[in-house]
Amino acid sequence: MNQIQIEMLNEDCEKSCIDYKSLLPLKDQKILITGGTGFIGKWLCEMVSFLNTNFDFNTHLYLIGRDVESFSNDAPHLAKKTFISLIEQDVKNLHDLPNDVNWVIHAAASPDSRVHVSQPLRTLETIYRGTNLILDYCFRLPTLNKIVHLSSNQVYGKIEGDNLITEEMCGAMESTKFTNIYAEAKRISESVCSVYRNQNSLPIVICRPFSFIGPYQHLDKPWAINNFIRDGLLGGPIRILGDGKIMRSYLYGSDTAYWILSALVSGEVGEVYNLGSSEAITLNELAIKVKSILSANIEISGKSSKDEYLNTVATIPDTNKIKTQLKVKENFSLVESLERTITWNKHNNKQ
Amino acid sequence: MKKILISDPTLRDGNHAVAHQLSLEQIAVYAEAANAAGVPIVEVGHGNGLGASSLQVGESRETDFDMLETAKRYLTKSKLGIHVIPGFATIKKHLAPAIELGVDVFRVASHCTEADITQRHIGYVREKGREAYGVLMMSHMASADLLVEEAQKMEQYGAEGIIIMDSAGAYLPSDVETKITALVNNLKVPVGFHAHNNLGLAIANSIIAITSGAKIIDGTARGFGAGAGNAQLEVLVAVLDKLGYETGIDLYKILDASDIAEAKVMNVVPIITSQSIVSGLAGVFSGFAKHVQRISKEYNVDQRDVYFELGRRNAVGGQEDLIIEVVLALVNKKK
Repeated sequence: MNQIQIEMLNEDCEKSCIDYKSLLPLKDQKILITGGTGFIGKWLCEMVSFLNTNFDFNTHLYLIGRDVESFSNDAPHLAKKTFISLIEQDVKNLHDLPNDVNWVIHAAASPDSRVHVSQPLRTLETIYRGTNLILDYCFRLPTLNKIVHLSSNQVYGKIEGDNLITEEMCGAMESTKFTNIYAEAKRISESVCSVYRNQNSLPIVICRPFSFIGPYQHLDKPWAINNFIRDGLLGGPIRILGDGKIMRSYLYGSDTAYWILSALVSGEVGEVYNLGSSEAITLNELAIKVKSILSANIEISGKSSKDEYLNTVATIPDTNKIKTQLKVKENFSLVESLERTITWNKHNNKQ
Repeated sequence: MKKILISDPTLRDGNHAVAHQLSLEQIAVYAEAANAAGVPIVEVGHGNGLGASSLQVGESRETDFDMLETAKRYLTKSKLGIHVIPGFATIKKHLAPAIELGVDVFRVASHCTEADITQRHIGYVREKGREAYGVLMMSHMASADLLVEEAQKMEQYGAEGIIIMDSAGAYLPSDVETKITALVNNLKVPVGFHAHNNLGLAIANSIIAITSGAKIIDGTARGFGAGAGNAQLEVLVAVLDKLGYETGIDLYKILDASDIAEAKVMNVVPIITSQSIVSGLAGVFSGFAKHVQRISKEYNVDQRDVYFELGRRNAVGGQEDLIIEVVLALVNKKK
């Protein structure tokens, strides 16, 4: 990572951190993050680094992840920071964790659908057992303030129509479909959270992430936006697989981090918040935007099983609740998010 | 007009029919003709794909990369495709140089219930910006529901289309309709079909596949392929044209290409032999034909018995060593 990229990250955090005072309860505190070495974990580190540097937060992070080495490779400037303690452990087998933790963000479990279909039982175990273990650990913490559990938008199941998805919605899900293992596991994890909140009085807030974009997002991940950027950077064609009219939205990495920290500090215990952008776009339009940002003569091709799809699928969150209750907002438009992500990856390619 | 993507494995599946002995000259002459006809994808290589040349499944006359390099020289319009079975083909030793050499289309294949093995290969090809398809071989051995699940894995891995192979030529039209319909209804990406002609149904099954929603169809010149051969490409193009589908292939030129293939590429035009019929009925991989013929003759065993026993044992591609086991068992039984 070069200096320009590090400065970009810093600028992003500055833009997203619209009210650092709202995060003051995190000052001189210790936060433990499971899945801390993934996309969200790295962005949380960047935001805390920004708070520590600019506002003397003196916040310490314990990052639990399975692959500490890849974290050090992806973010060497963070790995060197003294406010970060890296703990290499699988969330399924937690042991000997620090007992001076004040806040917990449970973000473990890869959202990578390739892993879910290849290792479904491991996916289930990581999510169910991991949530159980981390909450059991939280129960024994003497100075715990709050827990944010990162669930998934997939718990909504199949929502008909193209309405924005509110936190109250609940769609159908076929439990016998093996591709639903991640969604089912996340549903179970939410139930586990509810039990610990109810029976053990643990202060848990649930966030349901949708789709994200930004630096640190690996372009080989199996999501349309990543693949469009990768295909575009390789000179095309940008391949739209499936229904190009499907609608998605993408929250930028630094906004994501700020929103999660806001949920940690200000989220109501027992509440559920959608975590995502409400700026909807079809995959067809998204491909065109990527192409225009790259300013190249790139072909866009569509490959789909059907010529016409009867039902348009839209996975767009209603973010009214989180914006109203936690006073957060989207600080990066989709175009800005794409521009910065592409610029970042161009720097990566140069190295 | 509805478009159908034609992929032509004459120089790959056809290699099965000649025990992988296609020469560079034969590859050159057919690649040039197919390119002139506007065939969208020309698949080239050992019958079992990249890296498969071995004592186990047969050694090819030419190296993988000589074959690909030769074909690439003549494919100015057509894309160069290869068949890839993880295990035979490794990423470092085979995929990376194939990408370097300019291969455009990678069809990453597994037995129909083993899609998991294709993840890294499909991912690698997509990362390099090339086209990656998933192929489920011996698809008659899995139910429609199971095929959908395996295909969905490949789709998640990044496959841009899923092709099911009737590797044994065992399908009836109703089987094709059931399976293609299930796949089309449950996948995002296009579905394809690769036929074998053991029961004389390759063209009919290909058409049923299309009317059931398939968008990718394989066909070979004169049906040149393993066992009883594949769907005959020039017939397929003519029939699709008559049915109002667009293939982008020039009819006269593909007829010319087939004539050239018959004259210069194949010793014998594939026919449906008695053994092929039994192989299709038993559901045995067409690539076994040469081995079954040779070993059965050597031990004086009825090939038909060998096929039915292989079918009973659910033999799959890559288990060529099972043929000798079955033959010896039949010999012992005779005693």
